[in-house]
Amino acid sequence: MRLLVVEDEPTLRQQLKEQLVAKGYSVDVAEDGEAGLFHGLEYPLDLAIIDLGLPKLSGIDLIRRLRAADKRFPILILTARGNWQDKVEGLEAGADDYLVKPFHQEELLARLNALLRRAAGWTSPVIQCAPISLDTRTQAVQNNGTSIELTSYEYRVLEYLMLHTGKVVSKTELTEHIYDQDFDRDSNVLEVFVGRLRRKLDPEGALKPIETLRGRGYRFTLKQTQASE
Amino acid sequence: MKPLSLHIRLVLAASLILTAFLGLTGWALDKAYSESAENAMQKQLQGQIYALLAAADEDEQGRMRLPLTLPDPRFSNPDSGLYAQVEGEAGGYQWQSASLVGQSLNIIHSPPPGKWHYQKPTNAIKLYTVNFSITWEDKNNTEHIYTLAVGGDITPLLSQIKSFRVTLWTWLGGLALLLLLAQGAVLRWGLKPLRTVAQELRLIETGKAEKLSGGYPSELQRLTGNINSLIHHSQASQERYRNSLGDLAHSLKTPLAVLQGAAETHDKMQLQAAVEEQIPRMNEIVQHQLQRATAAGKITLAKAIPIAPIIPKIVRSLDKIYQNKNITHTIAIEEQAHFFGTEGDLMEVLGNLLDNAYKYGNTQINISAAQTTEKLIIQIEDDGPGIPADQINTLLKRGQRADEQQPGQGIGLSAAHEIIHLHQGTLEISKSKLGGAKITLTF
Repeated sequence: MRLLVVEDEPTLRQQLKEQLVAKGYSVDVAEDGEAGLFHGLEYPLDLAIIDLGLPKLSGIDLIRRLRAADKRFPILILTARGNWQDKVEGLEAGADDYLVKPFHQEELLARLNALLRRAAGWTSPVIQCAPISLDTRTQAVQNNGTSIELTSYEYRVLEYLMLHTGKVVSKTELTEHIYDQDFDRDSNVLEVFVGRLRRKLDPEGALKPIETLRGRGYRFTLKQTQASE
Repeated sequence: MKPLSLHIRLVLAASLILTAFLGLTGWALDKAYSESAENAMQKQLQGQIYALLAAADEDEQGRMRLPLTLPDPRFSNPDSGLYAQVEGEAGGYQWQSASLVGQSLNIIHSPPPGKWHYQKPTNAIKLYTVNFSITWEDKNNTEHIYTLAVGGDITPLLSQIKSFRVTLWTWLGGLALLLLLAQGAVLRWGLKPLRTVAQELRLIETGKAEKLSGGYPSELQRLTGNINSLIHHSQASQERYRNSLGDLAHSLKTPLAVLQGAAETHDKMQLQAAVEEQIPRMNEIVQHQLQRATAAGKITLAKAIPIAPIIPKIVRSLDKIYQNKNITHTIAIEEQAHFFGTEGDLMEVLGNLLDNAYKYGNTQINISAAQTTEKLIIQIEDDGPGIPADQINTLLKRGQRADEQQPGQGIGLSAAHEIIHLHQGTLEISKSKLGGAKITLTF
């Protein structure tokens, strides 16, 4: 999942980046509204975290410009102003949720998670595609109730594929959404991750959860079975 | 350019009108008098012509002849100012009054018989003259034409007009002066309340007075009343700022003391626990006091804010935030429902209350606003667990002293309550027919 953080305060920007990277997100950062707009328009983002008080282009204007350019990824507002007039203005401009500073890291992660799932059409934080279940809150993956240990990148690939169950995900799309801009993009690495995932999820080769469509990409084949809290 | 003062405007306008009016009046009176004096003179000279005709006699041939002396003695005295001249028989007969003796004047103009001729004074002849021609038949039945001319000196007439003018303009001038004085007095008296307001405002600016005294004319009462309310409002909000600042400083001291104590123990675990505990508390305090200080409260001359467009905005926002809850809402807002205050205050109240309704409601929220002539009534109902009657007071009071406040639910309710209180409105909590809480706001 590729996130953009637009925040002018260097310390907070760095803290956010570190916390989010540690949770397995790939994170781009921008220090003002104009840089934020550039990133938002040029890169395939899954979500943007935008501070309202930004230099050069205000957060509200940034959100309006992104929405006017038909960018539909979820936007979470970070603001020091907790009054309702500002909240409503931000949400009316096109944001999806807001978080008032100061905030707890857990609160931020919970909101991000909810927004990302909602954007992919899932209401529950646990994605169930029997027999595999993936908990987006704890990043725990189970097969028939047995925990499966995944590396951070393996988890990112599986989460993206499971959030888009039944849809064909191209290698380029997958690369763009799991790596940030500085990462060395070698599609062989992706194939290695997918190969490892197949072995870990389906050691006997009976389930075949991830299908390769030659020249088009990958598809998670298992159907969503139930959504539960 | 700075606009002219009211006083100068009124004095200028009234003086111009007065001058124009009196000037025109004087000019018209002057003209009427001169014309009627000239007419009178003309009539008088015509009378003298008739007198000449009456005095005329016949000679043996029956031709017209005038006597040597005439009844009016002025015709006999030289330079008397009244002169007569007669010419007839194609220049064969010449006669002039004794008053004309020694003057080489010719005032004959020979109009056709039976016609009058009037001549105004010229530079050469300073006389007003009248000519009249007649046809006279003698004993041989021969017709002769005679022209009779009478001239009157214009000097007495001119001096008469002159003295009239002096009298006229003296009186008009006096009148103008009187009117200007009266106008000045009227203006001073009429504008006195404005000068008093200005003076009282200066006193307020210098801190020697607190508000405008009463007793202004009805046209100014709205203005002075509103100025007083504005002064009152700014004093009240200054006091609120001061209080909030004081409360903020004091209520932050407790968590600061806890942190200081924890730091002095040199125990990292204890310090971390203290920081984690005190930061949310300090945050709550800052939020609460900020909100208290920025709430505008009841303002004079506030623009009426229509409720109808505001509620859907907030509801749209909350629908986004609580997307997973699938809340259905019915909104019934009367078109004329208005709130007198700032949009910020209204949004803060409604945002907090609606947020609670979304948070605690299960599936259904009803929002309605009704406007009577004096009151605005807003109702928010949900189908959540409701608020137990014995908790209402604690919930509303929560946060009145920030340092006593515990974080948790209901903060929004007390925040809204405080703003409503500033607007002299009321908040009532009861049981909704939906099963949850029903909040009724009255402004």
